[in-house]
Amino acid sequence: MSSPRFRRWALLALLAAGFIALVSAMKLWEVSLAFLFPQELQVVHPRATLLVLVWEHIQLVAVSSALTLLIGIPLGIWVTRPGGKELQPVVASVTSFGQTFPPVAVLALAVPLLGFGLLPTVVALFLYGLLPVVRNTIAGLNAVPNDVLEAAYGMGMSRFQALLRVEIPVAARAIIAGIRVSVVINIGTAMIGAVIGAGGLGSPIIAGLVQDNIAYIVEGAAPAAMLAILADQLLANVEKEFAHAPDIIASPA
Amino acid sequence: MIRLEHVSKRYGNTVAVDDVSLEIETGLVCVLIGPSGCGKTTTLRMINRLMEPTSGRILVGGRDISTTRPEELRRSIGYAIQNVGLFPHMTVAANISVVPGLLHWDKKRIARRVEELLALVGLDPYAHAAKYPSQLSGGEAQRVGVARALAADPPILLMDEPFGAVDPMTRERLQTQFASIQQALKKTVILVTHDLDEAIRLADRIAIMESGRLVQYDTPEVMLARPANKFVHDFVGADHALKRLSRIKIGGYVKPAATVRVNASAQEIASALGGHRWGWVVDEAGRPVGWIDARDLPSAASLSEAIVRADTDEIAVARTATLREALSRMLGNGMKSIPVIDGQGRFLGEITLRDIETATAEAEP
Repeated sequence: MSSPRFRRWALLALLAAGFIALVSAMKLWEVSLAFLFPQELQVVHPRATLLVLVWEHIQLVAVSSALTLLIGIPLGIWVTRPGGKELQPVVASVTSFGQTFPPVAVLALAVPLLGFGLLPTVVALFLYGLLPVVRNTIAGLNAVPNDVLEAAYGMGMSRFQALLRVEIPVAARAIIAGIRVSVVINIGTAMIGAVIGAGGLGSPIIAGLVQDNIAYIVEGAAPAAMLAILADQLLANVEKEFAHAPDIIASPA
Repeated sequence: MIRLEHVSKRYGNTVAVDDVSLEIETGLVCVLIGPSGCGKTTTLRMINRLMEPTSGRILVGGRDISTTRPEELRRSIGYAIQNVGLFPHMTVAANISVVPGLLHWDKKRIARRVEELLALVGLDPYAHAAKYPSQLSGGEAQRVGVARALAADPPILLMDEPFGAVDPMTRERLQTQFASIQQALKKTVILVTHDLDEAIRLADRIAIMESGRLVQYDTPEVMLARPANKFVHDFVGADHALKRLSRIKIGGYVKPAATVRVNASAQEIASALGGHRWGWVVDEAGRPVGWIDARDLPSAASLSEAIVRADTDEIAVARTATLREALSRMLGNGMKSIPVIDGQGRFLGEITLRDIETATAEAEP
């Protein structure tokens, strides 16, 4: 079967396999980085192989993004319900604040409280990624057409049934668009975790900056960029799974 | 039966619905009509508890609806609205299946019901069941909306301007179709509209509202003939007499008339006319194709030259048409009588301007 849908997912699987193969080929990186930056004595970061760094990075992003979704989506839903409606402006501005507050500053504040390593990084990433998810969840749910809602209630759906069967599916594309933005930002921002020893693709970059080694920086930055593209494509595919839900908000996040 | 007892709805100081009492008999179509803001939609929405009355009570089948859980009540009442409100992420079949699904019907029964309903509203189940709402025309969407409202076979149907969002031609087709569906199903229907012609076409009873109050509740005939006050009089308009004609079917006023076959001889014509001046000319299949004036006969070179030919569709009306259509046909053709035909286009008799005058006088309720 060669439906567009099948092709989309097959292409993504192919890209992912290619990416894994590429980051596993340490020799290839050594040779090409040495060729590009002949002035550097050492071209790959000695702490860990790329595969390990990518894996650390994915874990960092997965944990913080999962937290963002687990908190962000219910939060967005809650403030569009009658019970939480008054808090909508407050939640919207607090999450905006979360994004305007630099993650580096969050780290600086979090380290004294939470120590070094994974935990403060996850907290910083979680706060930073919250805005697009919450904002798009609110916008998507608010944009569900009134007559659709009235029909849902008029046919005898309870509030919960209407939310689950009508509102969330209709708002799905907007919500997923927000998740997409959040995750991609997260992949980029997760670099800062290396500053406080959370590992990931930030490690060679920080080391490169400290030791003035461009090869290290490229070693960290190139896979991170590819990872971001892959994640973006993955979520674009998920978004397309809801193609029949209307594009209810003009420009998702 | 639905009963509203002194129902009022207030928002702060504004009164949306003011002490409305109304009784709708089972199997009848009651149209709530009035200018915008008169409270007709609010009244409708209180019947399925999308809104709660401030005072008064509503009984459905003798039971106070405030004692039934709103969700449960709504599942037993069909609901169709102006912009249809089809769920955009569900197929037509899934949209129609919602209420049966909420009522836990089994899958096979739901599938059968969907097919049945699509056929009922005149949509091909095979072509439309798997479509998404965005792939439907306005008229098709409205029909799916009606099918969805009828899905669980509710005894009561609430409709809020169900034919509002389509072009006038489609609207008329949908109204005609709805009338024939209603004839078969005999639901208790409450329909909100601001379109008087729609009300007259569909209603068994019209409830006319003005700023929250029920002004008159009567059959369309009575309302048109004897408006309760100046407001109703103005609302039904200067052409209320014409509108009354559109409530009366031609059927009862058809009278026999002289007919002549196209190939008849002079003698046959003379005996067929029997002293009348005019006769309708019919073809072999019995369709009226024109008329003949006895005074033209002597001077005409042949019979066929004496026939004034006319297009059947232009001059004739169906027996199921209304007096209003007959009158319009007469005025349009400048004729004082026109032939009436059956479903196959065969001549049944004629109806005259005088008959319409008589009918108007007789129909005075």
